[in-house]
Amino acid sequence: MLVTQFIIRRLVFSIFLLFGVSVIVFALVNAVGNPIEILLAERPGISQQAIDQMTAYYGLDQPATTRYLMWAGNLLQGDFGTSIIYNQPVWQMMTSWGLETLKIQVPGILIALALATAMAVTAAMRQYSRVDFGVMASAMLGQSLPGFFVGILLILIFSYWLGIFPSYGAYSMRSPLWGSHLLDALWHMVLPVAMLTFFNTAALTLLMRSNLVDILRHDFVTAARASGLPERRIIYGHALRNALIPVLTYLSLLFGLMLGTAPVTETVFTWPGVGYLYINAIQQLDYPVILGVTMAIAVMLVVVTLLTDIAYVLIDPRIRLD
Amino acid sequence: MTGPLPFPARDLLEVRGLQKLYPVSRRGMFRRHRIGEIRAVDDISFSVARGQTLGLVGESGCGKSTTARAILHLIDASGGEVRLGGQDLLQTLRGPDRKAELAMRRRVQYVFQDPYLSLNPRWTIAQTLSEPLRVHDLLPRPAWRDRVIELLDLVGLEPHHADRYPHEFSGGQRQRVGIARALAVDPELLILDEPVSSLDVSVRAQILNLLARLQAELGLTYLFISHDLSSVRFLSTRVAVMYLGKIVEIADVDRLFEAPRHPYSRALLSAIPVPDPDRPSARNTLLGEIPSAMNMPAACRFHTRCPRASAVCKAHEPPMEPGPQGSALACHHPLEPPAP
Repeated sequence: MLVTQFIIRRLVFSIFLLFGVSVIVFALVNAVGNPIEILLAERPGISQQAIDQMTAYYGLDQPATTRYLMWAGNLLQGDFGTSIIYNQPVWQMMTSWGLETLKIQVPGILIALALATAMAVTAAMRQYSRVDFGVMASAMLGQSLPGFFVGILLILIFSYWLGIFPSYGAYSMRSPLWGSHLLDALWHMVLPVAMLTFFNTAALTLLMRSNLVDILRHDFVTAARASGLPERRIIYGHALRNALIPVLTYLSLLFGLMLGTAPVTETVFTWPGVGYLYINAIQQLDYPVILGVTMAIAVMLVVVTLLTDIAYVLIDPRIRLD
Repeated sequence: MTGPLPFPARDLLEVRGLQKLYPVSRRGMFRRHRIGEIRAVDDISFSVARGQTLGLVGESGCGKSTTARAILHLIDASGGEVRLGGQDLLQTLRGPDRKAELAMRRRVQYVFQDPYLSLNPRWTIAQTLSEPLRVHDLLPRPAWRDRVIELLDLVGLEPHHADRYPHEFSGGQRQRVGIARALAVDPELLILDEPVSSLDVSVRAQILNLLARLQAELGLTYLFISHDLSSVRFLSTRVAVMYLGKIVEIADVDRLFEAPRHPYSRALLSAIPVPDPDRPSARNTLLGEIPSAMNMPAACRFHTRCPRASAVCKAHEPPMEPGPQGSALACHHPLEPPAP
């Protein structure tokens, strides 16, 4: 089967998938109730006439199916609607807040990957040694601690006690640190990235080490040793690539679910990213934003899964596309 | 070679007193206690003459593969000496001199039992066969391709196989690739660790024929490890019989198969099925289980199962004594030698 044929088939499948997601999400948000009524219920001074007017303005007086078709039709034309809280286009909000999310998530994954590779290789080369035991134990600990707990701990130590790093936000409110916007932004990134790195490293290390240990037992590794290949080259040339497939699966999940896991980190650090936006939108029933972000998560998962499947084929010649 | 050798011809591979012990420890409250050791290979000696094949036979777990891996320093031997053409092989492989180590590795190569595990599944055959050339820096990169095709031809594969992956081959073809990889560096000695044990019988014969042909064409020396006695008889010049980490008998292949002198050799050989319903099988079944390697019988290790065992076998370990035509035997009560 040709790669292009495979991609086309997957894309067609993805359209049905995304359609299903959109229906379910829309139905769920709709089931919560009329956001205008809920929002204005706490403000007794507003007349029923004003409420009716706003309801009509947002088209909320229409039946759900009509509203779904309108929303979906706009979505297909690239129009995500307008936030009812911020009164800004949802697409514009998602891109600007999304950039902030990527700013901490991507380094959090990439640094973790590098750290995990180094730790897993060190541990696997000395299986059952003290080093191996230490790496395993700390990775196990890292995976058992909830992410938000680590985040709060980082804030307590580095912000509250030591006062080195800021505990919230992506930029300084007043003048930037050391007069440089870049340094200021990096300085704010340290703690959230550290939390994400910590969490991602633990799982990746455990996964990679166990795969490496398994592969180092194979005869083709012994064959490489018998031909005189240095241990380092055996690890990087033979073993690591074979150990990469399950890691790739996990990495793709990390990237695909980036927006889904962002709310925790971004709430802990009050980080102005999509996750923070999402949580606020849910609390305030800002339904265009909820729908938009949820669809973005679904699209990201679909795209990342597709890319992962293509990457499998490149890494492992035994995997066939059909 | 012109003229006589200035020194007596030595055997290509000489193994003296090779030992591999595994400590057995139990985790105590605070520290691990060493409670004993497993003598996987216990003080064995043998030699293989250039151009010949020594078959190393024995039951599963008797230390055959450990011997093979210890010779190549894939596991670190606990004691003993291995010489290749008079040079100290283990010392070179252990030593800090990387050039000497690689030069030594080129002379001895290894063929693995399971051709499904011994080839990197992510590499094409050409990549696998080029790797030794790269490691040992034998040929300029543009010449690798020709060498790969030459090697494939040598083991009876086609040039178009070069760009395939291991999963596209049958077990027999993979084993051919494994042999080609070993031959890539023009070795003198091949250690064949059960190379046909995981293949079915028809393919087994093809691989054995291939090995015999390669030996004749390239003047190779083999250390052939197997528990399949028919293959051993086909390929070997001499045979060493191992039992629980010790060699109990070494002899020329025909002498050993026709008139084994150690009771264990006889029991092992009588297990070969004879394809003749009229001939009553002289099965010489051993009683009892193989003793645990942790709890080795004292003195002669075979006395717990030996039909000829006596008091002396429980008290003294029989020494390895040399016999006629380079044979050797370790037994207090050997079977009668064949009539001259």
